[in-house]
Amino acid sequence: MNEGAARLGLKTGLALADARAMVPTLAIHDADPSGDTETLLALADWCKLFTPLAATDGPNGIVLDITGAAHLFGGESALIATITQRLGRQGFGARAAIAGTPAAAWAIARHGGQNNIVPEKTPEAALAKIFGAMPLAALRIETHVVAELGQAGLRRIGDLLLRPRAPIVARFGSNVFDRLDELLGRARSPISPRFDAPAFIAERRFAEGLTHRDHIETAILALCTDLCGLLARHGEGARRLDVSLFRVDGAVKHIAAGTSRPLRDPKAMARLFHERIETIGEDGLETGYGFDVIRLAALSAERLDAAQGCFDTNEASASLDDLVDRLGARFGLARITQLVPRDTHHPEQASAASPVHLRPPTPRDHPLPLLAASWPTASWDHGGDEQVPALPERPIRLLRRPEPIDTIAGVPDGPPLRFRWRRVMHQVAAIEGPERIAPEWWKGTALARDYFRAEDTAGQRFWLYREGLYQETPDPRWFMHGLFA
Amino acid sequence: MPPHGPGETGFLREAIMRIESGGQGAAPRFASGNNQRTRNITLGPAPASGGIKGATGGTHLDHVLRGVVARGALHEIVAASPGDAAAASGFALALAARFAAAFHASAPIIWIIEDHAKAETGAPYAPGLAAHGIDPARLIVVETANGQDSLWAMEEALKCRAVAAVAAEIWRLKSYDLAASRRLVLAAKKSGTPGLMVPSSFAGMAQKLSSAAQARFEVRARPGRHGASAGERMPLPGCAAWEIRAARIRAGPEGNRLNLDHNRFWPVLWDHEEAYFRDAFPLPLSAPARHGPDYAQARSA
Repeated sequence: MNEGAARLGLKTGLALADARAMVPTLAIHDADPSGDTETLLALADWCKLFTPLAATDGPNGIVLDITGAAHLFGGESALIATITQRLGRQGFGARAAIAGTPAAAWAIARHGGQNNIVPEKTPEAALAKIFGAMPLAALRIETHVVAELGQAGLRRIGDLLLRPRAPIVARFGSNVFDRLDELLGRARSPISPRFDAPAFIAERRFAEGLTHRDHIETAILALCTDLCGLLARHGEGARRLDVSLFRVDGAVKHIAAGTSRPLRDPKAMARLFHERIETIGEDGLETGYGFDVIRLAALSAERLDAAQGCFDTNEASASLDDLVDRLGARFGLARITQLVPRDTHHPEQASAASPVHLRPPTPRDHPLPLLAASWPTASWDHGGDEQVPALPERPIRLLRRPEPIDTIAGVPDGPPLRFRWRRVMHQVAAIEGPERIAPEWWKGTALARDYFRAEDTAGQRFWLYREGLYQETPDPRWFMHGLFA
Repeated sequence: MPPHGPGETGFLREAIMRIESGGQGAAPRFASGNNQRTRNITLGPAPASGGIKGATGGTHLDHVLRGVVARGALHEIVAASPGDAAAASGFALALAARFAAAFHASAPIIWIIEDHAKAETGAPYAPGLAAHGIDPARLIVVETANGQDSLWAMEEALKCRAVAAVAAEIWRLKSYDLAASRRLVLAAKKSGTPGLMVPSSFAGMAQKLSSAAQARFEVRARPGRHGASAGERMPLPGCAAWEIRAARIRAGPEGNRLNLDHNRFWPVLWDHEEAYFRDAFPLPLSAPARHGPDYAQARSA
């Protein structure tokens, strides 16, 4: 319901038919709570122009912690004017208030009068006077509690102030007075910001919106230099970075980048964002009317001591980390993996891909701290004096999921003589098996598998298995599972 | 220093090649005359490298590879048929393992693989790779969505000096041509990192491909040396074996000297335990390579 509708005398909760009867030309849209939430989140992001601590508050509110930020915008009244004015230009009607606690600001914004700023050190008596005149709903307590208190003749906050607390707490719980204390500044309630407030921020404001990609990247490089100076002073390096681009018309675009090690090199940092921008492309950037504020934040940082000297290994390690970061920025760090062993006989799960950047920190003297792995490489000679090793027990490539094959075997539970895989018939020339791998009985009721290593007449080598023993199932099926070199 | 005439350098190269074929394991090896920074890999255990010779009558493949497969260059491994894709990647990984063994102890191998390849020939499987002679802890797998991304990733990886080898398996690619490969070659040359390209979508088209790579091998699977099994049953499969054809060698002095038959397939075995290439035929002389000449004396004593 917008302002115009309110002027016509419509109220929330009115039946649609009644409303239509009152105003026949009424324009009606379905409620879209998720859309509203999204818009509100976007607005909260935009509000980070003014302070990094911004949070949504209920279905229609945003709360900002402006401690120490107001003077940057010419004081509290100027700040509030700027916010409402700029929101108005975006097409939002907003009521804003500043007070010592979030609860007080909430109450004033929704139930207050003209004076929407309560200075920081207002004495409690003055606060009581301001809030005493407000209805109980300004306490932000449940509506049924408000109604029941109303039946007892308590309609304004001032009515509560002079009452003894015990009977009311006994009946309605302590919530009412908790809220009252917050309102009067006797108790503090924290706000939970939409994102963690980053530890390190660098920011540039521009008189005119930047629309050119080159200009934006230059600005990002400048910001990286600023941020790295900041990080160097604290002896830290960034692990997760985020660039917020505030568009002139209020939209906010985020570009995130992760690193595989604490990073404090402006050029490397800027390169990561270059890759990210490359991936999303000029169109994906949606420059529109241009970005007038660009902020670079280190969302998480880790200790990084000043680099010592320029030893060979350190350099090699750095360039390798650099490579991982660059590839990660382009494809996502989760796509740069290392294979780690797992303690299971189940072939699919014996090897897992783990992102390289998640490896545990290890001493710096190794060029790349690699996961210590112990793979069984057991293999034995066939005997004889030729000393040619046998075919390895496991294939180098494992199909994503086993593919069914048709087989012809000499005897029912013997190895296949020939098989058809992907519509090609393969004649088996050499075969070894079975290697029986029983399912892990504590994990459901899978069938046992008999694995065979087969070589066809062309010399291609395969890893196949029969699922189910003849005791277990009357009709065991064959699958292709992997390929040898 | 006065410039050498072509005859003089030619003579020197001849001399170097003679030393190399004489089995001087410690002698420096040069790839293609001009670029002395590139180090070649040896494709046999050092003490026995002089012994592996002559079984095929002509030039041994090991010898060919030694002259051709250099660091700081791009090499292509093309499957002879679509069914040989696994064999081609196996050969590429074997080369990568050789490069890694010759390089910095813990430098990683980077394997760039498309999502599509995983469906086609399967994802890298660590227990099998370990058995193939590649330490999975030294392998970094980069997953990409398409061939264009793979090329980009390969170029970036080739620029990095701290990498032992970069292998890429490419399936979905609109254009892999002279220009694309030239970029890779330049990146490889600058850093000295070897690149191994497996263009799987070009299986069986080794002849039609045009690129700037230093060498192109066509690979097909070959029945290994089967082990005997008990009774009437089928024999046991042997270790990885391929037939390799040097489809194209960007001729350095070695290329001319070796006078390669580009149409001939050379049989080769991959000894995954010792991680080196072996001749596919029985070699009575090469057996106790790892023990050396002292071993026999020690035994007889």
